[in-house]
Amino acid sequence: MTALDRLTRRRLLAIAASAVALLAVGITVGVIRANDSGEQSVWVDLEPPVAMPDAVLTDASGAQFDLQERTTGRVTLLYFGYLNCVDVCPIHMDVLSDVVDTLEPEVRDQIDVIFVTTDPERDTPAALGEFLANFDASFIGLTGSARVLRDLQVAAGLPVAVAEPVGQDGSYVVGHATQVLVFGRDGVARRAFPFGVRQTDWARVLPQIVEEGTGS
Amino acid sequence: MRFWCSQLYEEWSWVPRPYLGVWLIVIGLVVSRHRALRRWNKRVGTAGVTHRQSVWFWLGIVGFWVASDWPVGTLGAGYLLSVHMAQYLLYTFMATPLLLLSVPEWRMRQFVARTHLYGTLKLVTRVLPAVLIANVILLATHAPWTVDTLRVSQIGSFALDVVWLLGGFLLWLPVISPMKELRVASAPVRCIYLFGAAGLTPMIPGGFFTFSRYPLFSTYEIAPRIGVTALTDQQIAGAMMKVGSVPLIWVVIAVIWSRWAAEEEKESKAAIRAMHDPSAGGPAA
Repeated sequence: MTALDRLTRRRLLAIAASAVALLAVGITVGVIRANDSGEQSVWVDLEPPVAMPDAVLTDASGAQFDLQERTTGRVTLLYFGYLNCVDVCPIHMDVLSDVVDTLEPEVRDQIDVIFVTTDPERDTPAALGEFLANFDASFIGLTGSARVLRDLQVAAGLPVAVAEPVGQDGSYVVGHATQVLVFGRDGVARRAFPFGVRQTDWARVLPQIVEEGTGS
Repeated sequence: MRFWCSQLYEEWSWVPRPYLGVWLIVIGLVVSRHRALRRWNKRVGTAGVTHRQSVWFWLGIVGFWVASDWPVGTLGAGYLLSVHMAQYLLYTFMATPLLLLSVPEWRMRQFVARTHLYGTLKLVTRVLPAVLIANVILLATHAPWTVDTLRVSQIGSFALDVVWLLGGFLLWLPVISPMKELRVASAPVRCIYLFGAAGLTPMIPGGFFTFSRYPLFSTYEIAPRIGVTALTDQQIAGAMMKVGSVPLIWVVIAVIWSRWAAEEEKESKAAIRAMHDPSAGGPAA
């Protein structure tokens, strides 16, 4: 065997070892993630837990919506956002609408997704209905006066949304909380799900919450 | 201006977003080829490439540029898995084979001599190592962990694209290398090689993408949507992976096979003629 042969053999071995190592790392991580029994938490525990705020808002049809009364005995996913949001809000709604489609009907029927606007100036009831219909017609859109919405966010333990200064084209963005609060049938939220929770995680957790009923 | 495309948590925009790295590579390839041809022309007095090779070169450059720059690069890096798959197909089945076909033998020998890669290329273009490397690259670069880890940064995304390009060159070298000794000598083995290296394994990840109940890649799941849901996008990508390369692979296999059959027939006719030709020592009719 010549020196060149030995050199090229060493190079080949190095390339093959690197490729196999790369594949092995990928497979190992994949297997670990696939075998993860779900103990890894994708949510934040709320300490203290948050009771469903007492507020009367307006739904997409213009009718009054008593938050506590209408959500009693149901699992409720409560989210605050606004229709001109270009990233977090539509992504959240898209993930939730896709995942609820995959749930068993008896689980799905016990869950409400509520989207409360943080931009009541622009988000009319009709616009809320139109926006949410793009994701899932059963999602509930709610609005109200600026004061009621501010008190609602405070009662839900969230930072109050802030509208940024209006740009030259008249548009503005609204900084708002991005987590989804999950209320159990007892009307208490014990978990907040941050932005980025994936469909596989929702699909694992939501049936558990419905079964337990308490969202804990 | 960004160097390379990567994941963005921004609403998709049709405002063009060129990438510096892509343009630098394109300019680098064009300039280095132009200088090499000019030097060759001065020294040898011929063009150094055929007209067909020039056409392959420009088509290969277009393939690379389309796959890497806005909008395909941007969409593939952070919005749609199906476009990410289109990028892979463009790199592996358009840009790299065309660029390889465009390289004249003298230029390839120059490159190999300068980089001292002859021995390595001889080994990695053997059938078994080449099949192994092609499949490892395919599986490793389409694993969710790899994509989700690399697509978040420009350098990671660049590394993934470079691995695809290198993988494409390695895949095609045993079939269309400008240096004859790097090609698989036997035509039937070349057909089997192509099927084994590029026609079989894509079915595995393609099947996972198509039949998974939930999106597998967080990069494309937690991204602003463009028209389709993350799961539909993944199913389209799976279908593309399974059948995207099939037409080209089978056309190439058919061409290799028919050329080989024609050569065999020519040789056997020549042998029969020689057998019946008295002047060639065969029996008289």
